[in-house]
Amino acid sequence: MIEVKNLTKRYGSNVALDHVSFSVEEGTILGFLGPNGAGKSTTMNIITGYLSASEGEVTVAGHSILDEPAEVKKLIGYLPEIPPLYMDMTVKEYLDFMYELKKVKLPKEKHIKEICNLVKINEVYKRLIGNLSKGYKQRVGIAQALLGNPPVLILDEPTVGLDPKQIIEIRNLIKNLGRNHTVVLSSHILPEVQAVCERILVINKGVIVADGTPDKLSHDLSSDHRLIARIEGSEHEVLQNLRSVKNVLELQSFGEKEPGVCEYSIEGAPGKDLRRDLFACCTRYGMPLLALRSSDLSLEDVFLRLTSDTYVPRSLQRPAVIPSEANQTKEGGEQA
Amino acid sequence: MTAIWKRELRSFYYSPIAYVFMGVVLFLFGVYDWNVVMTGSSYYIGQVYGVMFTWCMLFLPALTMKMFSEERKNKTDQALLTAPVSVTAIVWGKFLAAFSVYLFTMLITLIPAFIIGLFSSPTWVHIFGNLLASLLYGAAILAIGVFISSLTESQIVALVGTVGVSILLMLIDSFGSFFDNEVFSTIVSWISFQARYTPFTNGIFNISSVVFFLSVVAVFNFLTARRLESRRWS
Repeated sequence: MIEVKNLTKRYGSNVALDHVSFSVEEGTILGFLGPNGAGKSTTMNIITGYLSASEGEVTVAGHSILDEPAEVKKLIGYLPEIPPLYMDMTVKEYLDFMYELKKVKLPKEKHIKEICNLVKINEVYKRLIGNLSKGYKQRVGIAQALLGNPPVLILDEPTVGLDPKQIIEIRNLIKNLGRNHTVVLSSHILPEVQAVCERILVINKGVIVADGTPDKLSHDLSSDHRLIARIEGSEHEVLQNLRSVKNVLELQSFGEKEPGVCEYSIEGAPGKDLRRDLFACCTRYGMPLLALRSSDLSLEDVFLRLTSDTYVPRSLQRPAVIPSEANQTKEGGEQA
Repeated sequence: MTAIWKRELRSFYYSPIAYVFMGVVLFLFGVYDWNVVMTGSSYYIGQVYGVMFTWCMLFLPALTMKMFSEERKNKTDQALLTAPVSVTAIVWGKFLAAFSVYLFTMLITLIPAFIIGLFSSPTWVHIFGNLLASLLYGAAILAIGVFISSLTESQIVALVGTVGVSILLMLIDSFGSFFDNEVFSTIVSWISFQARYTPFTNGIFNISSVVFFLSVVAVFNFLTARRLESRRWS
């Protein structure tokens, strides 16, 4: 639905976006994640045609924003970071104006009414926008983006300024919209992206540093392939049996968590999946395996790791040093 | 374009701007009309337009000062520029809204003329000539004002800048006579608004002057549109 190729935006010598490429499938909810000033809003402004890119191109449903701006703009509903509201208009007047401006063809009164019901602004419909609370202003901004039922929605920090109850409502709204719209939303709030989005793009300093589902991201980045298992049996015996599992580097017991059941942390060599061998070991020795989970990083950890200064994107990384080699060199060093 | 025209017009009449502009202009018209009719015992009110012209050109920038500067400041231009309308339509919508307020005000000034017309026969050709000239000149000033408002985020800067340009245009003919330089005076005669305005006030209709003022409007609206486009690249 949306194709972004090699997007670069320079402000003078400052590079806000550096060859960003990605594509969004129809009907997905894509989360744009990154610290403030990472280039989220710039990307969104370029997709919607508010800014032009210094390099690269954007196409929405096959239409280029440069060659057919009107076509692209018809397909997009955009909520900028600061909702573009006229403070001297009532909600009704504003929505009527935006309806006309966007040249919407749907039955006017019915369509606007539906949207007001959807974002719950009926009770302020006749009030001046300037007198509304931040939360209501944000909703009027979302209502404006929904006018004309555009297939693509671009929402820049849609839940900013809302109270927790409203945030949940808006998130549910976005999830529902995601069923028949393509949604791109930006946020620097992780749980939000985690709760709503099917796919996450992490952007930092104008570069995409990660791309994937929330689960994939946290899985990919956990370098220590650790498993946490609860196994019934005496601690000493279980530890001894577990040592026989192939590729186990480190074992640790967290002590008794349930009567007669201890929790263990099992760390394997990078890239090796321990789960099958572990299961086989448990059955061989008749140790009931009661729980098994991988200790992936939380998305929060992922985010901090990705956006820290020292992080190098995967594509630029050198192949990881194999631990055994590293150990040998270390040992060699000691011998020498 | 109509959506923007309607919104701008509504915003003029929701804010005090249109009322203050019309109030002051019409009050001054009333004063000068009174002077001619009551104090001077004359029906020759065509000359009032000549006096009022100067005032109008100083007040008109108030109508255009917030056109794009406010949109830019409140970030509402994001809604306009990401909507499926062309930048040209946005600019013309705004220009026509300001011109509508001006036109409406000028039409009201015809009421006293018609009342006088009931009892005597004023020189209609002077009155309509003056009216048309003021409308054309005013349209040019409004287009320049819209352009200047697209250059800045500050309404005050837009206002003062446009008033400055307006005054300069009124004085530029006298600059021509300051220097005894043929090239300079030729250039002045090209851009002189005044030289094209005056014949109308004497009841002489000149199509090339109409084209001149309409061209100024078209050129500045074009420049405003380009200016808005160019912002996307900065």
